[in-house]
This record gives sequence, structure tokens and C-alpha cells, in this order.
Amino acid sequence: MPLAQTPTQKKTGLVIDRRSHTIKLTRNFDAPRAEIFEAWTNPEHVACWWDPAGEPLAACEIDLRPGGSFKFITKDHPDMPFAGTYLEIAPPGRLTFEALGATGRVILEEAHGGTNMAVEIECRSAEHLDQYLKMGIDVGTAQTLDNLVAYARRRSAVSSG
Amino acid sequence: MAISYDTDHLSLAFQALADPTRRAILARLTQGEATVSQLMEPFELSQPTISKHLKVLENAGLIEGGRDAQRRPRRLAPLGMKDVADWIEPFRQQWESRLNNLDTHLAKMKQKKEI
Repeated sequence: MPLAQTPTQKKTGLVIDRRSHTIKLTRNFDAPRAEIFEAWTNPEHVACWWDPAGEPLAACEIDLRPGGSFKFITKDHPDMPFAGTYLEIAPPGRLTFEALGATGRVILEEAHGGTNMAVEIECRSAEHLDQYLKMGIDVGTAQTLDNLVAYARRRSAVSSG
Repeated sequence: MAISYDTDHLSLAFQALADPTRRAILARLTQGEATVSQLMEPFELSQPTISKHLKVLENAGLIEGGRDAQRRPRRLAPLGMKDVADWIEPFRQQWESRLNNLDTHLAKMKQKKEI
């Protein structure tokens, strides 16, 4: 094995601002805004990409109007859906929703023929932000849980000697 | 739960990281250890201000004193920095995977359109 392995390329930016208790993810896509907006708001599309494990969603319900609700259910964790309510639907640039006690904003801006996407997750407080990061937004994903389990094991190995 | 084991330590670290000057100091220290006077120059801050920031970073376990006790150069504390990275990593990875999926899916949408 080579000594210095190239780390997996990180294309997603992550900034955590504790002062405004906001998590901001950024990413550039080689696609127009309208298509990305569609990918976020059409259940057939969301079902294809939401689960970090790469599995299609077991169920995806979207009532796309202010006050309308949504529910994304992964195959591995049907008991822990990512569910919430839409607050603002403004294609192709902005989608706002409330989920798990936080406000989520998807902001799409044109950039060099592609799109800069920002996903902002504004929590109620710094404590809420910690909680959010700790559990992941979507505790229902196998990957997150696996990571948390691995992390907890490392931690308990440290504390129990 | 074991995860909450050093939450307090991590809160301190995150509070320390919330300040842009302190993040800039950490960025400088990734290039190697530096003394207070070496840090004063690029940041155009007074010695007491720099010392105050260093103290916050040190209390948070993110930096430590270097070998030369006289000059008190500071350097990154690898374990403290790793703790913070470890803690955020599952969250970051989750979104990285998700947005990789989205990227792939957008390419498929494009292909379908072109056909």
C-alpha cells in the first residue's frame, strides 16, 4: 500500500458557524438550476439520490406547497424518516423547509454554466447544532449510524481503557 | 452514551473555532510552529490580543507549546484537531455521499433529456 494515499476527493464544502448555529454545505454541479431544483422536489428524483448508502428510498412523499409536508424513508431505517414541512418554494433558486426542528434552505445560483448549491441548516441554538451534527441530519442512514457506532466504540475504548 | 464522553472538550474546541482570527492562526500553524511575535506580524494584532487567542486555542486542546520553552512557540495539537475532525466526519461523509449520488443522478437526467 502506498504510504501517502490520496484522500477521497472532497467536493462538498462544510462550514459550521456556531454563532448563527448554522451548518452550511456547498457544492458545484454541472447542471442547470432548474434540474437541481427538480431533483430536490420531485419524489421520483429524490428517491434516487437521498440515501447516502446509494439505495433508492423505500418511500418518498412530497406535497410541494408552502405548509405541505414531505417524508423520505430509507430502506435500512424505515423507523427513522426524514420528515418535515415546506416553507417556501421558489424555483429555480430557493427551497426552504423545516425538519427535525431546524430550518433548511437550498440555495441555487448560476455559475459558469453550472450551479453553485448551498444547503444551509439553521438550528435553534448552539446546543441544537451540536445535537444535529452528532446524530447527522438523517439518523436514518446506515452509513451515519455505522460511523457513529465506530466512533462510539473508539470513545468507549478510550474511556474504559 | 460513550459519545458524550468529551462533549465539553468538543464544545470548547468549537467555541475556539468559531472565531475567524483563531481559525487563521490555526491555518498558519499548519505550516509549522510559530512564536507569538511571529504570529503578530501577519495578523497585525497586538501581543496581548494574540496571546489571548492562543490561550483560548490552548484551553480547547487545539494547540500546544513547542519544545523551546524560552520562545514558547506554539504548534497544532494533532489529537485535539483530530477529535474535532472525527466528530464532524460522519456528518460530512453522509452529505458527501448524498451529493455524489445527486451528481450521478443529474448526469442521468441530462442523458435522458438528450435522447
